[in-house]
Amino acid sequence: MNISRYGEEGIRILFGETIDLEIHEKVRRYYFFLKSLQLEEITDIIPSFRSCLILFDRKRTSYEALTVSLRDREFLIAHIDIPEPKTHDVPVEYGRENGFDIDFVASHTGLSEDKIIEIHTSVTYKVFAVGFMPGFPYLGILDQRLYVPRLETPRLKVPEGSVGLAQLQTGIYPFESPAGWRIIGRTNKKLFDYNKEPYSIFQIGDKVRFIRA
Amino acid sequence: MIEIIHPGIMSLVVDGGRFGYKEVGIPTSPALDIYALGILNHLLGNEGNAPAIEAFGGKFSLRFAKNVYCAITGAKVKASLEGRTLQSWMSFEARAGEVLTVDEVREGFRYYVGFSGTPVLDKIIGSYTTNLECRFGGYRGRAFKKGDSIDIEDIHQVDVKRIPDKFIPHMTPPHILRVVEGPEINYFTDESREEFLGGREGTAFTVSTQLNRTGIRLDGKPLAFRTDAEESIISEGLLPGSIQVPGDGLPIIQLHERTLGGYARPALIARVDHDLLAHLKPGDSVIFEMIEMEEAERLFDRKIETVTPIGN
Repeated sequence: MNISRYGEEGIRILFGETIDLEIHEKVRRYYFFLKSLQLEEITDIIPSFRSCLILFDRKRTSYEALTVSLRDREFLIAHIDIPEPKTHDVPVEYGRENGFDIDFVASHTGLSEDKIIEIHTSVTYKVFAVGFMPGFPYLGILDQRLYVPRLETPRLKVPEGSVGLAQLQTGIYPFESPAGWRIIGRTNKKLFDYNKEPYSIFQIGDKVRFIRA
Repeated sequence: MIEIIHPGIMSLVVDGGRFGYKEVGIPTSPALDIYALGILNHLLGNEGNAPAIEAFGGKFSLRFAKNVYCAITGAKVKASLEGRTLQSWMSFEARAGEVLTVDEVREGFRYYVGFSGTPVLDKIIGSYTTNLECRFGGYRGRAFKKGDSIDIEDIHQVDVKRIPDKFIPHMTPPHILRVVEGPEINYFTDESREEFLGGREGTAFTVSTQLNRTGIRLDGKPLAFRTDAEESIISEGLLPGSIQVPGDGLPIIQLHERTLGGYARPALIARVDHDLLAHLKPGDSVIFEMIEMEEAERLFDRKIETVTPIGN
């Protein structure tokens, strides 16, 4: 665990250098540890693949005081209750009509559309992070055979529910938005609702299975 | 009630921001010039982070349907109420039927228009601010259009007053933005770092036309990545004001709309200069000056202390 300062109100805690299930589990434990402390001086926590970013209120504490206080309580990590990850089934309509890039993915990978769908639906993915936009899940780890680069110039708009691939990740756009990932299909599952908690159906550590609709 | 006659180039509802849910990607989306918002609300007898209209561009115009006190802060504008000239950074009384017009922006970019009362708006996830991308909060989750109207409740009286000049920031370019070191500073060559962060001895960048409430893209001499450095990172938590550098080497100043990012961050804007980011406009010259973290903390604390006497 490597703690460093990021900006005036950020503490960046690194748990490793790669995208890895074990490293991510450490991030997740630490995130729930931080939440369990319910510290007023922590205004936000952003857990992701290999790090937790803590945003703190400098009117209430200092970088030094908060890092010491966290170290003093670290022993609690082994004792806190970590919620069981939820499993979500996401129905997807794959194919050209909703998945503008499926032809590109086929030519880049040398796989047929059916094979792409078969591989994409055969893995239970883990939610490594939620963010960039509200409710967007970064899912991994994608089968190597579906590795595709991001678009060089992102699309200005993809529809809500678009399912994309980028490197060894797959994800779902909860809103119509600009997108740099390769879109292979679309779901009608509602991922984010700003009117009721939990606003995002996904939280880190959850599992996601895609089902061909 | 007020009715939007002309929304300017763009106007929308903002407040102090939406906090506590960045873990699921919900960004802060606050007023970009929080100082101007605070002073505006002070002039109008409102709570410091109360909602107001953030606008840019001239021609913004609205009609009052009730007597209310109003003020404009942020960018210095030439405005008028029924032909009577108004100054920025002061409160004034508007009567039912009168029309407020912003004719011209003279210094800075974004200005803030507020009222002595509580506007009736959508409060979503603890805040009135507008998330434009996801269309929630503020006025129906979108920017204003001609003909939109907002009801204002609990209208209260305030003393008409003006903010002394010494409390009004300078917003003229070149903008000198103080920065602190970012997590990926070592991804860039020594020479590039010196040029990029060298203050007046360094290189200047120009604000490009690719600018919105999410980020500000700069033009200029691209930063050079070290040959042994990656050009991107594993996506992780992003702080507002972070300078991200994609593969083409041209910096993007991230504002408050993204919670995760995958580009290298050589530096981030010191909080003391965050408000100034609201006033960068295409063509403006920008110079970055690296300061130590302790200095950044001290400057920000001093900025807060300075405005305490006027009640921010």
